[in-house]
Amino acid sequence: MMAILFTLFAPIIGGFMYGIERVVKARMQSRIGPPLLQPFYDFVKLMEKRPMMVHSFHAFMGIVFFISTWFAMAVLMLGNDLLIAVFFHIISILALTIGAFSVRSSYSIMGAMRELIHLVSYEPVIILVVVAFYLVTGSFDYRMILSADTIPLLKLPLVFIALVGTIPMLLHKSPFDIAEAHQEIIGGPDIEYSGPFYEAVYTGRWIEYVYVFFLVFLFGGSNYFVGGLLVVFTFLLIMAIDNSTARLDYRKMLKFAWFILIPLAIVNIFFLALGGNS
Amino acid sequence: MSMRSKSPWILHYNTGGCNGCDIEILAALGPKYDIERFGMLNRGNPKQSDILLVTGPVTLKCKNVLRRLYLEMPEPKVVVAMGACTHGGGVFRHLYHVENGVNGIVPVDVWIPGCTPRIEAIIDGLIEGVEIWKGKTKEKEYLVGHGDDLLKKIGAIDD
Repeated sequence: MMAILFTLFAPIIGGFMYGIERVVKARMQSRIGPPLLQPFYDFVKLMEKRPMMVHSFHAFMGIVFFISTWFAMAVLMLGNDLLIAVFFHIISILALTIGAFSVRSSYSIMGAMRELIHLVSYEPVIILVVVAFYLVTGSFDYRMILSADTIPLLKLPLVFIALVGTIPMLLHKSPFDIAEAHQEIIGGPDIEYSGPFYEAVYTGRWIEYVYVFFLVFLFGGSNYFVGGLLVVFTFLLIMAIDNSTARLDYRKMLKFAWFILIPLAIVNIFFLALGGNS
Repeated sequence: MSMRSKSPWILHYNTGGCNGCDIEILAALGPKYDIERFGMLNRGNPKQSDILLVTGPVTLKCKNVLRRLYLEMPEPKVVVAMGACTHGGGVFRHLYHVENGVNGIVPVDVWIPGCTPRIEAIIDGLIEGVEIWKGKTKEKEYLVGHGDDLLKKIGAIDD
């Protein structure tokens, strides 16, 4: 019952998280910032714009991105298998990139290519995180992880660091906001969406917030307090990194993911498999 | 309807001015005057923007780009012209390469006077623009004095 409610309200929770993010970001820059409900004001505004599309397939792919992200969330909460949910998340990203490749705007195509590089960078780490959860708790079921008697963070410190390193890539935050690079390719894959169709993409991004921070929450295991603390800590850390760094090259992102984050996660899993306490 | 007015997204386009206005706009985004309090964001993307903030006298090269940006913005939309250059050319008036302001190109809703305008004036003008924007509908809006051949030339005939 709780899982169904959480799935249904995922866009609303994500919207609140995005609102909090914008306020926190503004306060870090010593601005006042927008009201907390700003994402929902944007939502209403985009709804009232004249629908304008490049072609129907492009607009449809925007909506597919929203639906499949939400579906990945539903699979995560109801299907009870983390690995399958990760693969459904890949499908949603593919819908976005197919849509972005289907228009002639060079910014859109460049954004789609970079989005795929993002996918190549963060997805192996996410899969390693899921594998590590399996080694600790013996299950891909998130309920088993949440009722495990140990705190997974204590056995998986390096995997947690690897996950924190990939969150800026997944949510397009500053050192790795290569795909949507706002001063460079003005939004990347979502540049050609407008009005209600942009709304679908915009809301899909909110669900990604919930999806990612749920993975962080799982590191607390049955101790929900630790999980909540981890989510708050990670959120603030990501905001601080976002505000204090400049955008990097895509090669640097790929190298960072493949030569630092993945080895970190693998070393942790290696020691875990040997039975040692890493 | 009132919720809509809390999230105006701005498209800022400089049509060949001296960049003084642009620096003032950047200052308005900063900590002291923070226009994100009103939900305003500088999107830089015509398809997702509501307010077109134009600065500069329109140079001949910029003319069709400005028309095109205006046509790419989905309705309801508002045009705010900022600075003396947009009003009639400013110091560039009657030079060989300018169009003497935006008045003959896009329909302007709010004029912000000054060279350069104070940031308080910018915020005032944008809020005034939002007030006008509240009353607008999804009805299509057109350029000033456009013809079919012009629309064809800038590739906007079959929107």
